[in-house]
Amino acid sequence: MSSTSADFTTSKTFLIDTTKCTGCRGCQVACKQWNQLKAEDTKFFSGEGYQNPPLMSEYTFTRVKFKDYQKNGQNEFAFYKEMCMHCNEPACASVCPVGAFKKTTEGPVVYDAKRCIGCRFCMIACPFGVPKYEWSKAFPLVRKCTGCYSRIREGLQPACATACPTAITYGSRGDMLKEAEKRLKNRPERYHQAIYGKDEAGGTSVLYLTHQPLDELGFKPVTKRALPSYTWQALRLVPGIFLTVGSGLSLLSWFTHRKERIRREELFKNSKVEPETVNPETKEESR
Amino acid sequence: MTAATRIIINEIRGYHRFLKFMIALVGLGALASLVRFIFGLGATTNLNDVYPWGLWISFDVVTAVPLAAGAFTLGAIVHCFHIKKLEPLVRPAIVTGFLGYSLVSVGLLLDLGQPQRAWHTMVYWNVHSPMFEVSMCIMAYTTVLFLEFLSPVCEKFGYHLPLRVLRWLEMPLVIGAASISTLHQSSLGTFFLIAVDKLHALWYNPLLPLLFWLSAIFTGISIIILEATMVHRFMGQPDESELLEVLTKILPWVLGVYLAVKLAATTLLSHGPLFDRPSLLALFVAEIVIGVVIPMVMFMKRAYREDQRMQLRGASQVIFGLVLNRFNVSMFGMEQADQAIYYPSVIESLVTIGIIAAHVLFFVLLAKYFPIFEHHPETVDYSIPDHAHSTAADHGHSPATGSGAVH
Repeated sequence: MSSTSADFTTSKTFLIDTTKCTGCRGCQVACKQWNQLKAEDTKFFSGEGYQNPPLMSEYTFTRVKFKDYQKNGQNEFAFYKEMCMHCNEPACASVCPVGAFKKTTEGPVVYDAKRCIGCRFCMIACPFGVPKYEWSKAFPLVRKCTGCYSRIREGLQPACATACPTAITYGSRGDMLKEAEKRLKNRPERYHQAIYGKDEAGGTSVLYLTHQPLDELGFKPVTKRALPSYTWQALRLVPGIFLTVGSGLSLLSWFTHRKERIRREELFKNSKVEPETVNPETKEESR
Repeated sequence: MTAATRIIINEIRGYHRFLKFMIALVGLGALASLVRFIFGLGATTNLNDVYPWGLWISFDVVTAVPLAAGAFTLGAIVHCFHIKKLEPLVRPAIVTGFLGYSLVSVGLLLDLGQPQRAWHTMVYWNVHSPMFEVSMCIMAYTTVLFLEFLSPVCEKFGYHLPLRVLRWLEMPLVIGAASISTLHQSSLGTFFLIAVDKLHALWYNPLLPLLFWLSAIFTGISIIILEATMVHRFMGQPDESELLEVLTKILPWVLGVYLAVKLAATTLLSHGPLFDRPSLLALFVAEIVIGVVIPMVMFMKRAYREDQRMQLRGASQVIFGLVLNRFNVSMFGMEQADQAIYYPSVIESLVTIGIIAAHVLFFVLLAKYFPIFEHHPETVDYSIPDHAHSTAADHGHSPATGSGAVH
């Protein structure tokens, strides 16, 4: 994957300003509605705060995570929307043996269910733990946020971004990065000075601004290097290794069999037998 | 009941108790597979979104592939390095390899969510995916093994023409086998390079593919030692410990290179704390000490190399170390500190046990009904019977080559 020169500034990107999130979970509901996802049977307090459902799953592509913290002796909530990061160079797309994932030019990373063989390598690869599996089915497929690709194609915004009253802004990655930097610069007391998603996994199409330090909120520390490059540095050597081992062993065999070959030829030369010949004048065979 | 069925059933009735036990285990495994397909992966396995890969990937794919590595290793040693002495060990190694790789495919088909779409890898290509590479290589290599396995089959039924073709193909097949195997043995390690923030630093480093390839080589050699010793003990085959000594001489070198690369990679190339999880550290130490250091030191002494019991013990330790290493990389090292531990369900275990039993069962049966252990000097003349002319004297075969067909 040599797309280090690829330009993602025009990729459609989410800017999620968690300092503005009210925890209304309109995004969760809109996503369920748009994707026609089942509701899950849960308990009310199944995580921190009012966090529900407890986990992302085959039926839940996004959820708001709650974080309780203390500020000036007061109990406070922080919220952030967990979702597929729609990475610039997605790990899922690089490991899928049948190429079922694709980073579209518009921005979302989309999944072609018709190709999927259900091997679950994408689930191992994704550093954010996004793809989920249809464990309830006899012939399961992978499920994840679609980036509302069909809506994007029609000029709409994703369902969650449309529903969100405060926190989500949606636009080109270049614009969203500029906006994020602007907010960080203008109100440094409001924001933790970092944009999660700017460099994580080589850069994603979901950018977060937070008030608390990232690990306190629960953001996973993820490598800044695009994940496909870890694999490619080994896989790119495959043709070379094949040729080297093949030709090396061929050469070795040629040498080690040489003695035997020479001995056989000597024996044949020294044997009393003459090869059959045809006398060209009489056309007679002689031994 | 036809005559054929009656013959087969009588034959099975005469089998040793051990074989009947294997048949029972295979039957249980088949039943468990049926249950898996009826109720689905979610209901029958302990896999979940945090641990999408479990026993079937860890053992039936990531471990079983290097366990079947004896075929290409021995093929290269005998035919490329031309250590002809070890020839009698080649054929059983090929059978082990063929069975092993075929059973890997069985395990894989059970683990896939859409096994009926397994052919998709042949049509939809993603050259950036190590799984694509492994699946292509394994398909190619199983074909090679099948062709190599055809030799004893053709010998049994007296098909001389295929035998001549196969003999002509022998060197290309051996070299092809070693090249293809190098690719997929190492690519199984490449699988885990993407799990950069998930696999613990004790095992994660960029040289994983090299380590997987080296360990496949010394494991293949050890499986040959184990198998030759077992067939001597239980199947009335001659004592090959003299031949095995050649292999035990090679082992310390491969183990030594592996140890050096592993220690260098772990100390110099890994990112992240090495000593933060005591249970993982214990597994790492066990894998290295039991599986690499002790056998390596053992086989540096000639007395241990020549002694049949020590050969078996050392080889068994290496194999144990390999199994532990593959589980460490694909399962234990992937356990996240803050999540519940994965352990296989009953169905998962029954299937894996059934697959192992199938390997043992079919190896014994193939050895029973096909010329696996008969030495087959390569100078045997598989002449095609010439029905058109009566053949008079020998057509100038030099005395160095033998003659006479084998049946």
